[in-house]
Amino acid sequence: MKKIFLVLIVLGASFGAFSQGKFIAKNAYISFYSSTPMEDILGESNEAVTILDSSNGEIVFQALMTTFHFKRALMEEHFNENYMESTKFPKAKFKGTIEGFKKEMLIAPVANIKITGVLNVHGVDKTITVPGTIGMEGGKLVATSKFKVTPEDYGIAIPSLVRDKIGKEMEITVKASYLPYGQ
Amino acid sequence: MKIKYAIILVLTVIVIGAGIGLKMFFKPHADVNKLDAEFKTEASTLMDEFQKEEATATTKYSEKVLEISGKLVAKNKLPNGTNLLVLEDEMAGISCQLDSSWSAANPSVIEALQTGNPVTVKGVCKGYLMEIKVSPAVVVTK
Repeated sequence: MKKIFLVLIVLGASFGAFSQGKFIAKNAYISFYSSTPMEDILGESNEAVTILDSSNGEIVFQALMTTFHFKRALMEEHFNENYMESTKFPKAKFKGTIEGFKKEMLIAPVANIKITGVLNVHGVDKTITVPGTIGMEGGKLVATSKFKVTPEDYGIAIPSLVRDKIGKEMEITVKASYLPYGQ
Repeated sequence: MKIKYAIILVLTVIVIGAGIGLKMFFKPHADVNKLDAEFKTEASTLMDEFQKEEATATTKYSEKVLEISGKLVAKNKLPNGTNLLVLEDEMAGISCQLDSSWSAANPSVIEALQTGNPVTVKGVCKGYLMEIKVSPAVVVTK
C-alpha cells in the first residue's frame, strides 16, 4: 500500500512538472535548404535556443546566424557576408503562439499544430503562420516545424547573377527536444 | 605568329582563372586545431564580458579563435553525434561543439574528460544566446 502511494506521489510530481512552467532546448536544430541546378544548398545549426511556456503555449526561438554550417566554406562565407549580413544582424528570432493551445498537448503523443507569430530575420519582422507538430516522443517533449520563406520578404537581396540559381523559396526545418526549465 | 601568341596568352589566363575559381569554390573549412588562438581567457571572465556588454563582446570575439579555460560541467552527445562540452554553468555558461573530425581522431581525449574537472578548449566563438556558443572546438591537451 505504501509503495502504491509512493508511486502515485512520484507520478503526480512528474506530471505536475510536465504540465506547468517553462521548457527549454539549448541545442535545437534549424536548417534551411534550397535546391539549385548546380547543387543543393543546406545550412544547419544545432545551436538554436528555444523556450516553450506551458501556461500559454508561447514559443520563442533564437538562432545565431554564424552557427549555420554548410558543406562548403564559400557557401558559409556568402551566407554570412552577402546575404544575412551576420555582423549587422547576428540573430534570427521567432516568437509565436500555438493555435488552440491546451496543456494536454504537451503530454499527448505527437500531433499536428499551427503556430502564428513574428519571424525576425535580417532585421525584418514578418508575421507568419506555420505548420508543426508537438508532443511526447520517446519520453521527451518534441516540437518540429517545416515551412518556406522567401528571402526577398526579409530584405535579403540576391544578386541577379545567381538569382536564377538559388530557389525562390527556402525550406526551413526546425526540431527541438525540450527539457523542463527552472524547477 | 602574333595571333598564335595572343591565343596562347588568352588560354593561359582562362586556365589560371578557372583554377583560382575552382580552388575558391572548393575551399575547405578552416581547421580550428591548426589555428592560433587570438584570445586566451578564463571562462568566467568571458561570461562576465558577454553578460555585461553583449554587443561589445560580440564585436570583439565573434568569429575569432578563443582558448578558454574553465570547469567542465557537462559532457553530452547531440542527436547528430556531435560531442558537446559545457563550461562553468549548464544553463548560462559556455557551450562548445567539438569538431567532428577532431573528435573522430581523438576519442580517448574526450573519453578522459570528467565533469567537475578543469578543461581548456580552443574554438571559434559564435556569439551569445543565453550562453556563449563556441563551434567548432577542440580540447587543448598540454
